[in-house]
Amino acid sequence: MSATTAAWLVLACPLAGTILLGLFGRALPGRIPGLVGTAAIAGSFVFAILAFADLQSRGEEQRQLVSSLYDYAVTGSIDVQMSILVDPLSILMMLVVSGVSMLIHLYSVAYMGGDRGYVRFFAYLNFFVFSMLLLVAAGNFFLLIVGWAFVGAASYLLISFWYRRTTATAAGIKAFVINVVGDVGLTLGAFFILKESGTLDFLGTFKQAEEISGANLTAGLILLLVGAFAKSAQIPLHTWLPDAMEGPTPVSALIHAATMVTAGVYLIARMHPLFEQSAAAADVGTIIGAVTLFVAATIGLVATDLKRVIAYSTMSQIGYMVMGVSAGAYVAGLFHLMTHAFFKALLFMAAGSLISAMGGEQSLDRMRGFRKAMPFTFLCFCVGGLALAGVPPFSGFFSKDEILLVVGDEGGWHWILYVVGYVTALMTAIYTWRMIFRAFFGDPVPEAVELEHGHIHHVDVPVNPATGEEEDTDVGFPGPEHHIAERALPMKIAMGTLAVLATVGGVVLIPKTTTWLDTFLEPTFADAPHHDPSDGMIWFGLALGAALGVLGIFIAYTIWGKANGEIAVRLRERMPAVHRFLINKWYFDELIELLVVRPAGWFGRFGQQTFERVFVNGTLVGGTSGIVRAGSAAVRALQSGFLRAYAALLLVGLGAVVLYFLLQA
Amino acid sequence: MKHEAPNIDWAGLSPVIALLGGAIVVLLAGLLRSRLVRERAVPFLAIVAFGASLGLGIWQWGEDAQVFIAKGSQATLAFDELTLMVTFIVAVAGIATVLLSWRALAPREAAHGEFYALLLTSAAGMVAMAGAQNLVTLFLGLELLSVPLYVLCATEMRRERSLESGLKYLIIGSTGSAVFLYGLALIYGATGGTDLREIATGAAGEAGGDVLLLTGIGLTIVGLGFKASVAPFHQWTPDGYEGAPTPVTAFMAVATKAAAFGAMLRLLDVGLIDAQPDWAPLLAILATITIVVGNVGALGQSSLKRLLAWSSVAQAGYLLAGVVVASSLGVSATVFYLAVYTMMNLAAFAVIVARERETPWGDDIASVAGIGVSRPALAWPLTISMLSLAGLPATAGFIGKFYLIDAAVDGGYTWLGIVIVIGSMISLAYYLRVVAAMWMRAEVAAVSATAQPRLAGADPEAERPQWELYLVAIAAGAATIFFGVIPSPLFDLATAAGRSLGLL
Repeated sequence: MSATTAAWLVLACPLAGTILLGLFGRALPGRIPGLVGTAAIAGSFVFAILAFADLQSRGEEQRQLVSSLYDYAVTGSIDVQMSILVDPLSILMMLVVSGVSMLIHLYSVAYMGGDRGYVRFFAYLNFFVFSMLLLVAAGNFFLLIVGWAFVGAASYLLISFWYRRTTATAAGIKAFVINVVGDVGLTLGAFFILKESGTLDFLGTFKQAEEISGANLTAGLILLLVGAFAKSAQIPLHTWLPDAMEGPTPVSALIHAATMVTAGVYLIARMHPLFEQSAAAADVGTIIGAVTLFVAATIGLVATDLKRVIAYSTMSQIGYMVMGVSAGAYVAGLFHLMTHAFFKALLFMAAGSLISAMGGEQSLDRMRGFRKAMPFTFLCFCVGGLALAGVPPFSGFFSKDEILLVVGDEGGWHWILYVVGYVTALMTAIYTWRMIFRAFFGDPVPEAVELEHGHIHHVDVPVNPATGEEEDTDVGFPGPEHHIAERALPMKIAMGTLAVLATVGGVVLIPKTTTWLDTFLEPTFADAPHHDPSDGMIWFGLALGAALGVLGIFIAYTIWGKANGEIAVRLRERMPAVHRFLINKWYFDELIELLVVRPAGWFGRFGQQTFERVFVNGTLVGGTSGIVRAGSAAVRALQSGFLRAYAALLLVGLGAVVLYFLLQA
Repeated sequence: MKHEAPNIDWAGLSPVIALLGGAIVVLLAGLLRSRLVRERAVPFLAIVAFGASLGLGIWQWGEDAQVFIAKGSQATLAFDELTLMVTFIVAVAGIATVLLSWRALAPREAAHGEFYALLLTSAAGMVAMAGAQNLVTLFLGLELLSVPLYVLCATEMRRERSLESGLKYLIIGSTGSAVFLYGLALIYGATGGTDLREIATGAAGEAGGDVLLLTGIGLTIVGLGFKASVAPFHQWTPDGYEGAPTPVTAFMAVATKAAAFGAMLRLLDVGLIDAQPDWAPLLAILATITIVVGNVGALGQSSLKRLLAWSSVAQAGYLLAGVVVASSLGVSATVFYLAVYTMMNLAAFAVIVARERETPWGDDIASVAGIGVSRPALAWPLTISMLSLAGLPATAGFIGKFYLIDAAVDGGYTWLGIVIVIGSMISLAYYLRVVAAMWMRAEVAAVSATAQPRLAGADPEAERPQWELYLVAIAAGAATIFFGVIPSPLFDLATAAGRSLGLL
């Protein structure tokens, strides 16, 4: 099977799954729909491996294949084909997306077992995977935009999956709006580039990358970055991601950690021939990435909602990737994307298991001492935590250092980023292990004790953990049953596999030892400048990274591991201003509220009041209550005044138009 | 002086003959007393007439027929690809409208024969308007289109709102027509010709930049903008749409727009092409105003028909982008979007008609609440329609907008492209509200004492929506998806239409 055929089948599997589940899912009994959905993604994964094998069997020059299904729209100036680009970069993304998705589907088979929207969940999830694969496989800007928008729509559907929960729908709308802003940026950016290059095709555009440099290219790339920032939750378009944790936990693991939010990183890597031509646009990406990774980590230090801590950590880690790929560390950025997908998905899955054991409660303040009750979850959380903290030999250790190595090697002002990167690495270790020490150590809470006696805590009246509102367990709300990894085999398999990958995933690119990933991605990034940092810098970076990871864990232990976290309380009391600033998330939500939402609200109210009152309510109310008899209706309508207003407006408009021409003449 | 009869190309004229001939046949058949004939055969004959027009149009495709060639001047009516595309759109809209009106209240109140005859006459006017190469023919087409529509709006004679709508449309419409006619007169005065080619010569020559000509252009733009619901000449739209019987609204929304834009393209891009630097910036500003006004106006609406009315204003703004650039690409993009616009709107209106007959909520958004569960075969077409109007990928509306933006960027109006994108972004808010109502809300509980009476009236015993409504909704929805995924057939037609005006 040729690589392109296989790649098309990679796309076909989840699409077929979506349609099958959407149309006939309700007819399938029990957990069959979940297994069907999982099988569809497994099919994708298998075909991705076949495509990978075929690509590897070709010569290095022939590893960029374009395959077109049919001419989508061919006219004078646009020539869009249903075409995919199969090269090492897209294959790597396909493997990561389909592989991690497969495991998360498997996890969800058990985890979502008690939910009334079981079939709907898998139909949406399959749709998401299709969209994401379309995004990474797209061979031109047009399909990229399509995939980009689909992914946003799927994310919206899944965030507000529990659509009768007010907080979930609000979060979904927030995510959707910010993502649409990103879509607009991406679309306009594509048009700016189209204007210069005359083609929407990726390879065609890249071929003329050197000729099209200029202001239009920079503007186009910055607009593309707006799209990337919105999707990848980079400042200032990040506020939707923490709220997106309202979605079911597998969704957080798949979409808001492992795959969708890394689309921005993929986009920058994909567009690297263009970014090479525009230093300004690349610098914007680098700086925003650096700011995000730092800010998000500081918020992660104080957040108390378990899933939100991991969400801020995701933002921060994607900040590393965005900074990396923008600064030219393409392979390193994608390497971190891959390892992050493993360990972050693992952390979310473990968090999901823990939340289930708490009966839906997500606050870290209420969790303590689950170590004995949930040994498997604890183990998985630790593996994920070690990888995230960057402790050798776990995967995150190698990938993060690789990014910082290249950034440091750039020299100049990039040294600041190098330092910021390592300072944040320390914070990363602290906030990660803060979660672990708070949730798993100390005296067990009643839920943990109950679990040790072999019974999962069950709440009689389910409440929304965010607001404390009482809820149903009917459709549109979380289901009544809870599932933990210790008791559900599918969850165990999924988490176990990811734990292994999170441990050994770094093996593909160990400095001075293996260069597998580098060699594999070579055909895509052949034209990018190579970095060859000195040995001293490599060893210094590795040693520093390892030391900071261990130091961070030690600090976390000192503050939260000992004496049930009394030091933490004292610290908070000592520095109330800092705490307030961080717990309010640097006031970004308030800032956006002030700068964007309120003016938009005024605008909307103006629209409603002026338009509604004058034209709608006026005619509607005036029209119906004023007119009594049908016979006089016509006359009344004529005299109501509104008609006169219409004619007057028409004449005013007419006057304006004529005036325009007279001024022209 | 010896009068020489103009040369008439009967084959070329056949699509219009089919419509007008059909009108006569329908009118006569409506006189028969048998209920079966009036209620079954008359609509059937109307469909046959529209179908014949469609078929004859396909037959004439590529012939570029020029009919009514008087000696020494250009044909007054051209059946080139642009006219034929408008004919197709009008005929498809006509067939759908007949199906939607078949068991509706309006034709019963107004007498069946007259209702369908008016519909066919109006359609003939639309085709004539789109094909007119002469100012006199253009005005004739406009009036032939408008007058039957004024009457059709008021056909639910025992409902105040319908009468009000008809009267308002008549008065404001007459104002528009008067302005338009005045504009035509001024253009004639400035260039000395009523023929578009003569006007083009005149405008390129000494009349160029003349105050008389420019004022004339301004007035004609206002007149056509009125028919196409371009702000600030759109005020009749929400009232007209809401008050008119829903099938008539559907016809007004899609067919009138196609005719108005067809005429606008021909007049501006052929007759006044040399004045393009004068009118293009103005039209671009009008497009921006229209997009903003339409989208803001739609935000707070709870009546689906009003919502679609405001949305049609916004869509007119998008369409203007294709006119502004005065290029063959712009014409193709406009024609393509008109075709797409027809499909998505017909799907929406069919669902509204179905729910009007089924629930007591009329066209209120409550009438579609929860139909995702109870009537998925209606919920899907409306969902597709809303997503397509908003421009979500994989729907025809997306590729249509993409095409228009491309034309705008290509013609040096990048900022107008940005306005379109931002406009569609705002529009998501109200389109998604309808989608959310369908899928995420429970059905509004049964009739309460204060609820409005059933508007449908048509078949009081009809509990479920009739099959023809399903047919229109599903066919239009499926077409929207089909041309979103495989748009090339429609692209080819639109490209041919774009080339027919002889622009670059």
